[in-house]
Order: sequence, then C-alpha cells, then structure tokens
Amino acid sequence: MPSVTLLGQALISGVLAGGLYGLLAMGLSLSWGLLRLVNLSHFALAFLAAYIVYELGTNYHVEPWWSAAMVVPAMFAIGAGQHWLFDRFKVNELGSLLMTFSFAVILEVAIQLYWTADFRRYETEYATRSLKVGPFYIPVLDLTLCIVAGALAWGTWLWLRQTYVGKALRAAAEDPEIAAAYGVNHKKLAYLLSGIGAAYAGVAGTFIALIATLAPAQIWTYLGVVFAVVIIGRLGNPLGALLAGMLIGASESLAQAVLSPAWSPIVSFSVLIVILLWDPEWL
Amino acid sequence: MLLEARHLHVGYGDAPAVWDVSLDVGAGEIVSVIGPNGAGKTTLINAIAGLLRCRQGELRFDGAEMTTVKAHDYCSHGIALVPEGRRLFVKMSVEENLELGCYLSAARAGRAQSLEKVYGLFPILRDKRGQPAGELSGGQQQMVAIGRALMARPRIVLFDEPSLGLAPTIVDDMFDIIAKVRQDGAAVLLVEQNVLKALEVADRAYVLEQGRIVAEGLPAELLKQPHIREAYLGV
Repeated sequence: MPSVTLLGQALISGVLAGGLYGLLAMGLSLSWGLLRLVNLSHFALAFLAAYIVYELGTNYHVEPWWSAAMVVPAMFAIGAGQHWLFDRFKVNELGSLLMTFSFAVILEVAIQLYWTADFRRYETEYATRSLKVGPFYIPVLDLTLCIVAGALAWGTWLWLRQTYVGKALRAAAEDPEIAAAYGVNHKKLAYLLSGIGAAYAGVAGTFIALIATLAPAQIWTYLGVVFAVVIIGRLGNPLGALLAGMLIGASESLAQAVLSPAWSPIVSFSVLIVILLWDPEWL
Repeated sequence: MLLEARHLHVGYGDAPAVWDVSLDVGAGEIVSVIGPNGAGKTTLINAIAGLLRCRQGELRFDGAEMTTVKAHDYCSHGIALVPEGRRLFVKMSVEENLELGCYLSAARAGRAQSLEKVYGLFPILRDKRGQPAGELSGGQQQMVAIGRALMARPRIVLFDEPSLGLAPTIVDDMFDIIAKVRQDGAAVLLVEQNVLKALEVADRAYVLEQGRIVAEGLPAELLKQPHIREAYLGV
C-alpha cells in the first residue's frame, strides 16, 4: 500500500490533469447536448491549435498567451465555418459523427504534412514550475489550466442559465419549432455555439502545447476518455463536464498509484459504467 | 380584419391536409374552428402560426403578407401559439418557460409586468416558478403554455385543443381564461374538439371537415343546423 503522501499527490495530480479532460469535454458537450451534433474533430482542432502555439512559440518566440489570443478567435471562426457545412448539408446526429470523423482525419494528415510525424515538444520556463504546499507539489501550468477551465465552465453555465440567449439555446434543444414560434432564430444561435465550442478547443490546445508532447496521431488519444467524461457530466452541462473530467482524472491517477499504470485506461469506462448503472439522483 | 386567410392549402410531403381554406379573425374577436379528429385543424393552426409552410393561398396579418415570413419572425408580428399537447420546455423551470415567451426585445421590455399579469391569472404558477415544467400536472402545464403565449404580448393567441387531456372542471377554467384573454385586448383563434364549449365562447365559428371548411357562421346558427347537431352533439 502506497503512503498517504503518495496517494495525496496522486489525487492532486489526477484532479489537475482531469481539468484538461474537462476542458476538452466542454465544447463537445455543448454542441452534442444543445445542437445534437457530435464533433469528433474537436480533438483535431485542439491539436491544430496546439501545433500553432508550438510553432509560434518555438520559431517566432511568441509568448503562449499571445498565441492563444490569436488562436482562440481563429478556432471560433473555424467552428462557425464547420457549422456552415452542417447547416448546408442538413447534417443530423449520426451524419455529424461521420462528417467530423473525416474532418479529423483530414486535419491529422494536414498536421502530419506540415509538422511531420516526429514528436514535438514546446519547451517553456513554465513547464517545470511548481508550488509546494505541505508535502505536495502542484504544477503551475496544470493549476492555471484548472483555473481557466473552471472560469470557463462556470461562466458558460451561468450564460446558459441566466441570459436570454442561453435559455433560447436550451429551449431550442428541447423543441426547436416552438422556440422558433416565440422568435428564437436557432440557426443564428447554432453558429455562435459551434464557434464557442471550437474556441474552447483552442483554449485546450494552448495548454496541450505547454503540457504535452505533440504528435499527429495523438489527436485520437483523448477520444475515449473525453467521451466518457461528456456522458458522465451530462450533455450540454459545462460544469458537469469539468467535474466529471476531474473525477476521471483522479480515478486514473489513483489507479496508477495503487494498482499499476497499466490499469489507468480502463478506469474511465469503468467509472462511466458504474455511474450509468447507479444513476444517482444528484447527477 | 386582423387575420385573413384566403384559399390556403397546407400539407405534409405530397399529401395536402388542408384544402382551400379561407377564414377571418377580427381584432378582439374569438373565432372557433371545430371539427372531428384528423380534419386538419392542427395543420391549419400550425400554418397560421408559421410552423408549417402554406403551399398555396394567402395569409395576411394586419395587412402584412405572412407566407414569405420566416417562422421565427411570426412572433414579432404579434402571433402567439398555445400548441396542442402544450409542448413546454419540460427540463426548464416554469419561469424560464414564461421568459421564453418574452424572448423578443419588444416583449422583453415588459417582462416584469407581464410576469405579474400571468402570475395574477394563475397564482399557482408563482409557487411553482422554480420547478421543472415537466413535473407539473396537466392543467398546470396548460397554464404555463397559455402564460408563455401571453408573455409575448400578442395581438392574437392561437389555441390548439386547449382542453385536450384535462379534467372537466379544469376545462371550464381554461375557457374562462380564453374569454379573459380577449378582455385583455387580444383576438383568439381556437381549434377544438369540445364543440359545445368552443361554440359557447366564440363570436363566430367555422366547421372543418376533411381539410375543407363546410360551414361557417354565428355559433347559435351553427347549433341549429341538423348536420352539426347530428355529427357533433349526437342529437
């Protein structure tokens, strides 16, 4: 049995690492829950953003935060552009899965053509910084990610609950016809939401560039875990997505510490199955 | 006339469900459309609400041609629908459902006032304002559906089978509310299977059978016609 300190450290690292799952899940959950569009290319967009941040930082010495300020709006535009295609071809839930799978493959190939299949590492001074709290180490980048993800999740949740646009989006998700009868222009709002989802991929990508080693095939590594996170957090619920991400992150990390690293991949789906069977009321 | 429909044809796919229907609703008037199940009543009212496209004919509201207007712009002209089966946003709270009614900026400006009016009309909704609309009883859900329409500050309210699936005592309340809506200044177009009630509340009425208007007139006159007495009242 590992020591309490080790378990505590595993828990902290897991929760912080889960912030990235949550951040990736948020955009996916919004478009799936509110627009009935499943965007498999969400991860590819995040990695595209990560590569651009890497490129700007490594070759042009742009600070990652400035890169993010350019990449995130660009991703918003790409998301809205993608939605134009969904709209143009009247894509449904299943159709969106196929269409965005092909987007993802195209983006993967494009990334590979430009940046090659080699591993890329964006070296920054931030990567090694950490705070020491008691016996525990808290990496500054992961902490920043969680604060940003928390602010986005909370802000988005409030936006959906408190504003007329947010309420209109939730109403249109339930009954688009009746929402339209009361003046909701769902088409216009859908562009906005698709753009926001992709912009969140841009935010996630910025952190991926700082935290992870990049390779084109990595766009698929988060797919399974993040889908489990989206389902556990409930579709269309950004706060749920973040909390579920942290739950999965912590479970994976604890499984690694207590059992062995080989166990971690099955954790996310085990948690998903347990939660689906248990179906607790507070979810 | 506030609402003028001329030779409307409406349908799903290749099958027209409403043929050559012409009807009028004047300002402040209550007009009922009665008819059996499957006569095309809901199709007709959905077309007037902008939910369905008319394939032929003219639909004018306060002089404006409506057949080319987009579905989400009907509400801004002052048309509000209380749909069949209520169609509330069941996962959202009662108050959020009402707020959706005043989504457009003109109605939004009067949100607080309209809410007070709706809660005055249906005091029970004030107590349930935070509950998900799907958890309410059928009668209460119908109140939310009517409240949502009133929040839009409409010039005409389209009621589609408001008595469907409600207990008899609540049905009486619903028809009282319809009369109150008119007192408030809005016109009413009511589509109903409850023929007696629908004729009682109406100023004028139309009979729709198999997608066509087969009779129209004052309720008292319609009630005298042998065909209507036989088909709808069983006497």
